[in-house]
Amino acid sequence: MKKETPAQKAIRKQNQPKTKKEYFLWVLPFLILVFIFSYFPLHGWIYAFYDYKAPLKLSQCEFVGLQWFKTLFGNKTQVAQLMQVMKNTFAMSLLGIATSILPVFFAMFLNEIKCKWFKTLVQTLTTLPNFISWVLVYSIAFCLFSNTGMVNTLLQNAGIITTPIKFLDSDSHTWLWMLLWNTWKGLGWGAIMYLASITSIDQELYEAARVDGAGRFSLMKNITFPALMPTFFVMLMLSIGNFLNNGMDQYYVFQNSFNKEHIQVLDLYVYNIGMTGGSLSMATAISALKSIVSVVLLTVVNWISKKTRGESII
Amino acid sequence: MKKKMISALLCVSMTATLFTGCGSSKKETEAPTEAPTEAAETEAPAETEAAETEAAETAAAAVEADGAEKYPEFITVDVYDQFANYQGMQTGWFAKVVKDKFNMELNIIAPNVAGGDTIFQTRSAAGDLGDLILTDTENGKLQNLITAGLMLDMTDLLKDKDVYLNYSDAITAVNSELVKEEGVWAIPNSISSSSADTPSEGLDLTYGPYLRWDYYKEIGYPEMETLEDMLDVLKQMQDAAGTTEDGKQIYAISLFKDWDDNMMNNAKQPCCFYGYDEIGFVLAKADGSDYQSIIDSDSMYVRVLKFFFQANQMGLVDPESTSQNYDTLSTKYQNGQILYAPWPWLGQSLYNTVEHKEAGTGFMLAPINDMQIFSYGCSVTGGSTRVIGIGTKAEDPERLADFIDWLYSPEGFEIGGQANGAAGPEGLTWEMVDGKPVRTEFGVSALPNNDVEVPEEWGGGTWKDGINALNFQTLSLVDIDPNTGEAYNWQMWESTLEANVTPLDTDWQEHMGATTTLEYLEANDMVLVAPGTNFASPEENSNISTIRNQCKSSIVDYSWKMIFAADEAEFDSLLAAMQENVNGLGYEEVLAVDMENAEAQQAAREAALALSGSSDDAEDADAETTEAAETEEASEAETTEAGSEAETTEAAETEEVSEAETTEAA
Repeated sequence: MKKETPAQKAIRKQNQPKTKKEYFLWVLPFLILVFIFSYFPLHGWIYAFYDYKAPLKLSQCEFVGLQWFKTLFGNKTQVAQLMQVMKNTFAMSLLGIATSILPVFFAMFLNEIKCKWFKTLVQTLTTLPNFISWVLVYSIAFCLFSNTGMVNTLLQNAGIITTPIKFLDSDSHTWLWMLLWNTWKGLGWGAIMYLASITSIDQELYEAARVDGAGRFSLMKNITFPALMPTFFVMLMLSIGNFLNNGMDQYYVFQNSFNKEHIQVLDLYVYNIGMTGGSLSMATAISALKSIVSVVLLTVVNWISKKTRGESII
Repeated sequence: MKKKMISALLCVSMTATLFTGCGSSKKETEAPTEAPTEAAETEAPAETEAAETEAAETAAAAVEADGAEKYPEFITVDVYDQFANYQGMQTGWFAKVVKDKFNMELNIIAPNVAGGDTIFQTRSAAGDLGDLILTDTENGKLQNLITAGLMLDMTDLLKDKDVYLNYSDAITAVNSELVKEEGVWAIPNSISSSSADTPSEGLDLTYGPYLRWDYYKEIGYPEMETLEDMLDVLKQMQDAAGTTEDGKQIYAISLFKDWDDNMMNNAKQPCCFYGYDEIGFVLAKADGSDYQSIIDSDSMYVRVLKFFFQANQMGLVDPESTSQNYDTLSTKYQNGQILYAPWPWLGQSLYNTVEHKEAGTGFMLAPINDMQIFSYGCSVTGGSTRVIGIGTKAEDPERLADFIDWLYSPEGFEIGGQANGAAGPEGLTWEMVDGKPVRTEFGVSALPNNDVEVPEEWGGGTWKDGINALNFQTLSLVDIDPNTGEAYNWQMWESTLEANVTPLDTDWQEHMGATTTLEYLEANDMVLVAPGTNFASPEENSNISTIRNQCKSSIVDYSWKMIFAADEAEFDSLLAAMQENVNGLGYEEVLAVDMENAEAQQAAREAALALSGSSDDAEDADAETTEAAETEEASEAETTEAGSEAETTEAAETEEVSEAETTEAA
């Protein structure tokens, strides 16, 4: 072990916080941030226990206890509706997770392109959709796929179909359509992380493998892919934590009377009840339940992770 | 040490920015309101002076411009307006009238345009809804606004004003029935002096099967016995029409979803051709002879869904119906891409321009032999579903009270009610010739809401953009304007009727044997007037509201699916699914509430009718203002007494009627 010079020691000491209080100061801004944006809003849950009506103050509204939670499970149709919503949420989240491997392959193949400008072009073009808001994505979808949109007009003019195909206002394959849009939008963005990981793979590995006579696909299969797996698993874990939060803007813009049954995910359901239907208290009750389910899910995943990988994520 | 300092500073500044982000909004909003007022103060006198001299120059200008003398301080009034379809500062000629008379401008906050209920929730949570509040009152909303301390008691402000002296019965009726607290909190809309069974709409009712008359004529005026016969007629018309000049496909029917509420709005309209109007999930017939639950397989609503379904099977429904909004739809009407309109103010207002009428094309009422169109009767106690009041935080309540008083005056209604069908400012759009009101040349080209340049001394801009955006009708259009001796509605003027001689008008008149729609309908017993009352449905349990909202969205979704179902079997199975679904949600409970309301409304209608029976006998008295006013005063007194027992009304008006009122008389 090297011995420290007195000067070095002094510098080290100077840089070290002296007391626990100082340690606390370092973390304080972040604690405040977390408190303001993650815990403080929770006080709004109180609305779930009142019969809140807009112009009145909360103090002027009647306290109803657990009435809204009971209403949620009040009758069979209500429960069936909630089940359908959960089914949609789970299905779309699972489909999303199932396709989260796609960016890995995309990154791998992109990395194999040797022509630099073409590679950059592809990467830019695929990353770009991530920055387009869902509202604009919908207008693009509308221009292309509405009954009088480009695709239908083309097909009709070519004489392939006589009546327009209903892409948007039908309930067939809603989940798949949503998945496709989602993938189109997120593929390039998702690949960025993996492209970064690829650059950090030790080049010596590749060289050694080439010397041993490995081909391109063999390199990808045996070096690149395994090297990306740890990153992939971390991303997978994180996405499970967000299982119920699969966003609502996408589904909000695409929803209509025809596909509502299969497009309504939990967040959208809460919005439709609270904002469109005006039952803020009930909507609060549902979203409070959602948080509880999320916490349960996370705990379960954490437990599984502990059992199988020997390390917990929280 | 330096590093530590920097990081500490960073910490502080980070936390500081956190808090500034939360707290600064108030300052921001305060600052700009102050600045413009100051600036405006200095500007105002100069401008109004100019206005005054101009007004003096145009001797015909009836609007007096004494605003700046009476109210030296120029203010901006925030108007929270539940009915407005325009958001932002009132502009154009109406803005000038308001500025000249009251030295203020109207900043309209319209939930219909942006924000919806969220705007209402956030503004009321902040404790300041607006300086001037125009709101609906259904489901206990007015009472809640007052309980929350958002509305001002106007008793002292109004006690010497004409609006209170003239309409005290109507005002008392609304306030005593809808509000627990003593006081004058709100003033109802459409206060009338005509009897309860007089249609309040004017010459065309709110609803009616309006078809493109030129194509109807082309296929030889085929007779229609009942609603379903219209399908064949529309089919023939669509075939005859083909495409527009610019190559767009013409469809008979085009639907839109913007106004869907309790049910699919478009599908409700033909129910109104048969005398029904909605109250919640009930279709109540105007004469109280029938109440239907909309989801019943044999209800009028389901019949109309079937009608649209068949139309779609026949290729008569515009495929863009499922995705378009009202704006797209209006453009299509303007381009002549649609052949059927359920409202005169949609088809006629948008398509029947002078050029089109001269060319013999346009929307006119096509008779269905068994129809009995629903009509809203006049109400001496006004309609209490929509009211106007002043906010507690209003800057200058006296001035706002004067403004309200003016809106309810004859001159105020001529000008402010223009959006609903009155004539506009005297001297600009109309003038008195030989003791009768006649449209000026400008009026002929500008009315009802055309894109015509307004002379600079009247405020400039276009006529259309300058129309009063409040969308609140204070008096009744069919009442007699004491200034002119004829109705407020310029379409009912003798001079206007005489001018209806375009090929379109004459052809229609010859075929129908009547000069106006109303004349035809009345002669053939095709109008069913719901006596005007000031009924507003009472507050309901929020559990019911929650179930109602869920049922609503289910009914609307299934309705759309049914119309675009692939075949009859799918239609039936969707209907069954809808019934099962809403019944499962608790539809019965909501229906019971609605039935109760429907019956209360009917009782109110009968009471109103009985009271105006006396003035009914002297029907010709209606024409003469003085006599009518006398009989009405007597009946008004009674109405308030009986009214309090029997609840009140203007039929449950939903959004589309609001739109209806804006452009109704067009």
